[in-house]
Amino acid sequence: METERVQDCIHLLQEWGYRVKVGKTVGGNSQTYFSGSDEERLADIQDMLDNEEVKAILCARGGYGLGRIIYKINFKKFKKSPKWIIGFSDNTVFHAYIPGRLKIATIHGPMAAAFSDEDKENAYLLSLKKLLSGKKTAYRVPSYDYNVTGTCTGELVGGNLALIAHLCGTPADVQTKGKILFLEDIGEYLYNIDRMLYQLKHSGKFDHLAGLILGGFSDIKDTTRPFGKDILGLLQDIFKEYQFPICYHFPISHERENFPVVVGGQYELKVGKKEVVLKIRNLE
Amino acid sequence: MPLMDRKNFITRLASVSLIPLGVSGFRGFESGRESGNFVLPPVLQPGDVVGISSPSGYILQKGILSAAHQLQEWGYKLKIGHTIGKRHYTFGGNDEERLKDFQNMLDDPEVKAILCARGGYGLVRIIDRIDFSKFIRNPKWIIGFSDITVLHSHINSKFRIATIHSKMCNSFPDAWDTATEIQKETILSIRDVLAGKKVEYTAGYHPANRKGYAKGVLVGGNLRTIENLAGTDSEIDTEGKILFVEDVGEYLYSIDRMFWNLKRSGKLSRLKGLIVGGFRIKPEEDPDSAFGMTLEEIVMEKVKEFDYPVCFNFPVGHQRDNFALVCGAEYELHVKESGTLLTKV
Repeated sequence: METERVQDCIHLLQEWGYRVKVGKTVGGNSQTYFSGSDEERLADIQDMLDNEEVKAILCARGGYGLGRIIYKINFKKFKKSPKWIIGFSDNTVFHAYIPGRLKIATIHGPMAAAFSDEDKENAYLLSLKKLLSGKKTAYRVPSYDYNVTGTCTGELVGGNLALIAHLCGTPADVQTKGKILFLEDIGEYLYNIDRMLYQLKHSGKFDHLAGLILGGFSDIKDTTRPFGKDILGLLQDIFKEYQFPICYHFPISHERENFPVVVGGQYELKVGKKEVVLKIRNLE
Repeated sequence: MPLMDRKNFITRLASVSLIPLGVSGFRGFESGRESGNFVLPPVLQPGDVVGISSPSGYILQKGILSAAHQLQEWGYKLKIGHTIGKRHYTFGGNDEERLKDFQNMLDDPEVKAILCARGGYGLVRIIDRIDFSKFIRNPKWIIGFSDITVLHSHINSKFRIATIHSKMCNSFPDAWDTATEIQKETILSIRDVLAGKKVEYTAGYHPANRKGYAKGVLVGGNLRTIENLAGTDSEIDTEGKILFVEDVGEYLYSIDRMFWNLKRSGKLSRLKGLIVGGFRIKPEEDPDSAFGMTLEEIVMEKVKEFDYPVCFNFPVGHQRDNFALVCGAEYELHVKESGTLLTKV
């Protein structure tokens, strides 16, 4: 990630009253896919985790690479003094591993690219500011007639569908029993979304859900031989057999509409006929 | 003992004896042969019926003509399923239609082998609804690859019954006379395997190979499909096996991620050997996003702490040189300086 692209993010965090420590992996001169070698990326995140001054780590962007180093990260100091880890997409690996295995909550939310000087008053960024300052958030969004109405409470888990599917069968596999699951994705083929949802279904992840939040599924592609359903139809088809509350089009996505949520936090989800409310119940 | 009671008694006996078999793996079928505690369905005899069905993608009727012609040349009779020529968007009929056709082939005692017409996508949508109870009692060959890996993994791992990983109807040459040698050889390898012949395949020297010898049951298939089954009831069991994987059209980063899934779900730690088939890699559009590792580096990174043989460029995959392999049969794998040899025991 180029240094220029994080400038607005740094400014805004400073405006919020925070001091910013920029890691070595930002603005590096990497010639590859990654922001640095495995060793460089590992050293940078380890440094941020172990530095007592750093109270939150904002991942600059997603992409691919966290899965390569997650098991090499030493979480010993982090476990003693937890701090917020913020990000989404490839960083879903953090959201699966840290709340799942270390029982410490993380924030699934906007990354550096979402911070811009022109659009700094948007509800998504302001909600992140609110969460970081320890205030509870409650999101109210319009409901759709195909939502499944109901109220539930439980721990929130989830993130990017492709990553959640990829972690199936591994020690970071997401446990969903009694929980509220949220999913989002971008740029996938319809058949592939279908295949991944069948993997989650066949690994029992929908059997004992408290509730389901379907976020944005943007830039979904179709094959030359069409799949036969659009993304909404595909999702409805998979979830038609379940009774738990389901909310479609919730603003958690790869787009501007991306409310920060605490993964591992206790939430109440109310899917009404007119309105959906997602409210955090505790924040410690 | 009155007739009624005797009947009940026999039923009771049957259920008593079936339970432990179900738990410890199926053995001792009337006509199946065993291989490393896997059951090999009976070898095909001239006059036997081969069913053709399309449980994944759709195929036109003319798309199976050359395969049908060849199978008849080999002395088999055909049963063409109603999914052939049927289309529901990308699928060979809707879920109900594909399920019904495949179930019908499985349950028909006349059908001794089921050749899947093509891959595509669709098997995970119906796999949990297929009733394998008759198939388990009377195993028959299931043939195909790519999306058909769902069947290989499910049947090999749950029932310990062997299946055939090979080309399908859409890969049979239109005309035998004008077909290339490799097309003929690969298609004839299906015939040889069905007829129970001992087959042996070779792959040339590859600098990244790890030399060694292994003997064990072969399992595997399409890497993306194997990853997609992780955590499900159809998950592949690789313990003590020789694993082969192939894929097509994936980015290197995605292949890396899939191999991490194999490794972290424990599928690479207790292998006898690893066979890497064809991987036609999708190039990154942006050269600045080069992944920075080769396929060989990606694979060896995941298996460096183990010492089993590994071979690359094996003739299996979405390519011309895709030979028939029996998933669930015992093989000997020799990875030598001069090349690789895979021999069915």
